[in-house]
Amino acid sequence: MSTIAQEFSKGLLKENPTFRLLLGMCPTLAVSISAINGLGMGVSALFVLLCSNIVIAALRNLIPSKVRIPAYILIIATFVTIVDMVLNAFTPDLHKALGIFIPLIVVNCIILGRAEAFARKNNIVRSIIDALGMGIGFTLALTILGIIRELFGKGSIFGFGVMGTAFEPMGILATAPGAFITLGIMLGFVNFMFKRLRIE
Amino acid sequence: MNLLAIIFVAILANNIVLNQFLGICPYLGVSKRIETSVGMGMAVIFVMTMSAIVTWIVYNFLLEPFGLVYLRTITFILVIAGLVQLVETILKKTNPTLFRALGIYLPLITTNCTILGVALLNVQAGHNIIQTIVYAISVAIGFTIALVIMAGIRERLELANVSSFLRGAAVSLVTAGILSLAFMGFKGMMTL
Amino acid sequence: MRDALRMALTLLIIGAICGGLLSVVNGITAPMIADRENQQFLQALEGFFPDVVKFEVQEINGEEFYSCYDAAGKFIGVVGKVKASGYGGEISYDLAVSDAGDIIGIRISSHGETPGIGDVITKPAFQDRVIGLNFADPISAGVDVDTVSGATVSSSGMINSIRRVMNVVGENFLGMEVEKAAIDLTKIADGTYTGTARGFKSDVTVEVVVSGGKITSLEIVSHDDTPGISDNAVKGMPQRIIDAQSLEVDVVSGASMTSQGIINAVFNALK
Repeated sequence: MSTIAQEFSKGLLKENPTFRLLLGMCPTLAVSISAINGLGMGVSALFVLLCSNIVIAALRNLIPSKVRIPAYILIIATFVTIVDMVLNAFTPDLHKALGIFIPLIVVNCIILGRAEAFARKNNIVRSIIDALGMGIGFTLALTILGIIRELFGKGSIFGFGVMGTAFEPMGILATAPGAFITLGIMLGFVNFMFKRLRIE
Repeated sequence: MNLLAIIFVAILANNIVLNQFLGICPYLGVSKRIETSVGMGMAVIFVMTMSAIVTWIVYNFLLEPFGLVYLRTITFILVIAGLVQLVETILKKTNPTLFRALGIYLPLITTNCTILGVALLNVQAGHNIIQTIVYAISVAIGFTIALVIMAGIRERLELANVSSFLRGAAVSLVTAGILSLAFMGFKGMMTL
Repeated sequence: MRDALRMALTLLIIGAICGGLLSVVNGITAPMIADRENQQFLQALEGFFPDVVKFEVQEINGEEFYSCYDAAGKFIGVVGKVKASGYGGEISYDLAVSDAGDIIGIRISSHGETPGIGDVITKPAFQDRVIGLNFADPISAGVDVDTVSGATVSSSGMINSIRRVMNVVGENFLGMEVEKAAIDLTKIADGTYTGTARGFKSDVTVEVVVSGGKITSLEIVSHDDTPGISDNAVKGMPQRIIDAQSLEVDVVSGASMTSQGIINAVFNALK
């Protein structure tokens, strides 16, 4: 039982894909402009990761190891395209905001990385737990960054104004340089917390 | 948009790394030394141009006429993966010198999102074949420039006394942010 | 050999299943997407023309124009999905023009202008300056529409583009004579003409010599725009106009208002 809990929680903290493993940086920087975009991207990636982990774990004995990478890419790209279509049909605004970064989930290192490092060696249940942990860790990281940038860059959270009218938004946080700087400082902060709390 | 504008915008005003957030992984991973970043840049210029041409042909002569546009992501990534393999094999056989120079970067390139990103952006913008080639080369040059500048800064950063929490990726990201701020200045230099 | 066959077969099967799955999902979502886009667009048109029930698309120079009709089938106006060049790149916007040639509304659909500065073009503060103007108005930066200070490039980009779009709309949908294009040099008698128009902060007066249906000389007689900034326009624009034998020339960047003033002055001289 404890191993399942560990499997799940490693993605949230110790091996958080964004803050610890530095994977999937491109979408992290690009879509964290607002909380809802970060959440949308995180959930999309979580869905793709979950589906691809399940399928790859199920097929792990059937796919010859020499052609496994192209096979994984095929499977991942299929789920990414499904997400792309579904988002376009049901949440057009989010689809527009995330733009090219939806198809680019295909080359998100987290997904291929989990397939290669975990799903192909483990059974379906463990792969699901792994995908959930990693996916939720990624979603959390994106949402937190989105909240920070939206709060200080636009004075709102999830589109609701919370800072009052006297607050002058720091426009820089909504631009490209703001993305880099916020993430850089967040990384430093996470490192600091980990050292303090001795989570290693 | 004329070609000059495409070149200017792709290299400076809308730099692929510093403004469009593509290719951050290699940007942080391979920017420790100037030499390696030049090597990586050359490999990207090479592969990006080839893949842009091939994906353009595939899209315009295969996917679009048969109404299979929705398969573009899956086709493009397979084409790119195949192309990288092919380039690697051919280089190994025919030009060992070039292979030694670029070889180690090639496998990294399949998962470099700039390559797929540029293929998709070309389709999205409706570029013709000449614009496609020019755009791909310019984006790759922009990538190389950003990478080399970053490497130059990081070589010095190694010697600086940075707080242990910020050492590594964190301070690199903040540096990239300041660079990106500088590149923002290129916006508006050219009204299209 | 058997290994290679097995590998190829596995990939083929996975590929086939993936392709099949995608075509099924596409079959479900594609009509929904098309339907929603159509609905959204009709709604957007209703924002400009509440009576619209039917529209027709026409493509002119790569831009789409939608003619709108009311329930009785009467033509009530045009909406253009058009582009302008701003400070941070292309600005995509919809411009609605009534059948009488009045600008009914503007809606910016995407832009790359700096938040807090150039994005003023998305706000009423700027848009109200343009809405209500008629096709017959000059619609020229600094003449009848003020640019927004601090965001000159963004706002004058929009104004220039609106003038261009109005010409397209007027010519193709409203059956109006486009004045600027109507300057037919061959029909202008030989002679020397003078004209005046507003530059950046002063009136620019030009003297144009026409002979044999061509502009042979163009001189800036007087202006009081900022020295050092307007110089490039004063030096460069006459040659551009003479080379092109037309007023549809690019303005000198950094001195766009003075350049536009020179163009307008020549227009006033020859009209």
